[in-house]
Amino acid sequence: MDDDAVFKALADPSRRLLLDLLFERDGRTLTELDAELEMTRFGVMKHLRVLEEAGLVVTRRQGREKFHFLNPVPIREIHDRWIDKYTERQVSALLDLKNELEETA
Amino acid sequence: MSVSTITETTTIQVYQVFIKATPEQIWDAITKPEFTEKYFYGARIENTATKHRSLGPNDEMWADGPTFEFDPPRRLVHEWRSLYDPDLAGEPASRVTWEIEQQDGGFSMLTVVHDQLEASPKTAASVSGAGWMMVLSGLKTLLETGKPLSS
Repeated sequence: MDDDAVFKALADPSRRLLLDLLFERDGRTLTELDAELEMTRFGVMKHLRVLEEAGLVVTRRQGREKFHFLNPVPIREIHDRWIDKYTERQVSALLDLKNELEETA
Repeated sequence: MSVSTITETTTIQVYQVFIKATPEQIWDAITKPEFTEKYFYGARIENTATKHRSLGPNDEMWADGPTFEFDPPRRLVHEWRSLYDPDLAGEPASRVTWEIEQQDGGFSMLTVVHDQLEASPKTAASVSGAGWMMVLSGLKTLLETGKPLSS
């Protein structure tokens, strides 16, 4: 919904790492994520909150546990809005070039 | 090592999207075939209080299962079986939950949870990534612009 929030959330290496971790295995608790980062639990919580506010992470409660899920939809929207439009032609030209070079190699 | 993490990845999948539409509009768009055929891979899906049925463009049966919860315009839970692909159709049924929550400024938040996928790894892999995402971007585009995504 808010491009600014998504770009800001992505503009931090720890937050990108958190997204990569959830991409690898989705639905993790804070404790599980905390174990993967060299950072205080409070720091990880703060980053998760920024990701959640940007809609990139969605949490679900199950019993006493809170699980974090990667929500890829906002990234798709950024892709559609900001990447497709500018790269479609160039990318296909590059792919043609790559195919041509690989065929002759 | 990476193989085991991939199979674990997908037993629950959660997708969320904000759509500038009322909960009632979203409800109609997910329960009526004249809407779903415009964004759901051409599937004509009909959700009633008891049945979830999906037909392909040539009337092939793509899904035919029970509705578990039907609470318009807030919550819909139905069975998922991928009858459109023989390889996936053999896997056990999974479950899809749609939740619609009204937000400020004319927006609604739509959350889709696809779970009970533990015994259906092929189905899980096929709906993850672009699978549900294309459906949700298509639904959003249709409701906000009146046009299908790929026109």
